[in-house]
Amino acid sequence: MMNSAAKLDHVSEDGIRRLVDAFYVKVRLDPELAPIFARAIPGDWGPHLTKMYAFWSSVMLTTGRYKGNPVVKHLALPGVQPPLFERWLALFDQTCGELFDDGISAEFRAKAARIAESLKLALFYRPDRRWPPEPTG
Amino acid sequence: MTFVVTDNCIKCKYMDCVEVCPVDCFYEGDNMLVINPDECIDCGVCEPECPAEAIFPDTQPGLEDWVKLNGQYAAVWPNITIKRPEPDDAKAFDGVPNKLEQYFSEKPGQGD
Repeated sequence: MMNSAAKLDHVSEDGIRRLVDAFYVKVRLDPELAPIFARAIPGDWGPHLTKMYAFWSSVMLTTGRYKGNPVVKHLALPGVQPPLFERWLALFDQTCGELFDDGISAEFRAKAARIAESLKLALFYRPDRRWPPEPTG
Repeated sequence: MTFVVTDNCIKCKYMDCVEVCPVDCFYEGDNMLVINPDECIDCGVCEPECPAEAIFPDTQPGLEDWVKLNGQYAAVWPNITIKRPEPDDAKAFDGVPNKLEQYFSEKPGQGD
């Protein structure tokens, strides 16, 4: 158990690597998220993790290291439903809280929530349906 | 949701935003940039990078016309991901009001 004094009080490339590694360990053990990710990444997770280090580096440190089109990537995933984004966010938030102090965790959470909302809109918003979508149960 | 480029980009076009954008969603006109609302993931990285403070979240009231303009021209202007120097007179136009009516150009920029 990490005590709170050991929590990171700033964002660094190393902190991002630790966050991403720890988060995807949780994802791969999660009954809801694991199957989706296993279908999308059937083999070596190395390239995905490297891409996620770059993504969060771009978002949190404005390094411009990630270049990609996450909307298109997510559109191509079968089986993704809106509640999975909540599950993803809960695990991400939990992992942030384990590694970073409250202020930094809140910064990550705010970014992740905005990005999740925008991906959800891209995937699920239809002008003729209610938004946010009804829970599918 | 998306971020949008607004009036003060016109004739300033500093382009700091394009370097930090993780999803390459900026498109270049002759004298301003726009964001493609279908590609923007709302990460907000570009907002504080803009020296002209011309980028805002679309949740801010009163930006409906800018949201439309961004989407309209993102569809026809070329993608821009690499910063070039700003126009020589960028500083002089920074903060000039109502640039849309006076100076906006529909012409595409050169892109990358």
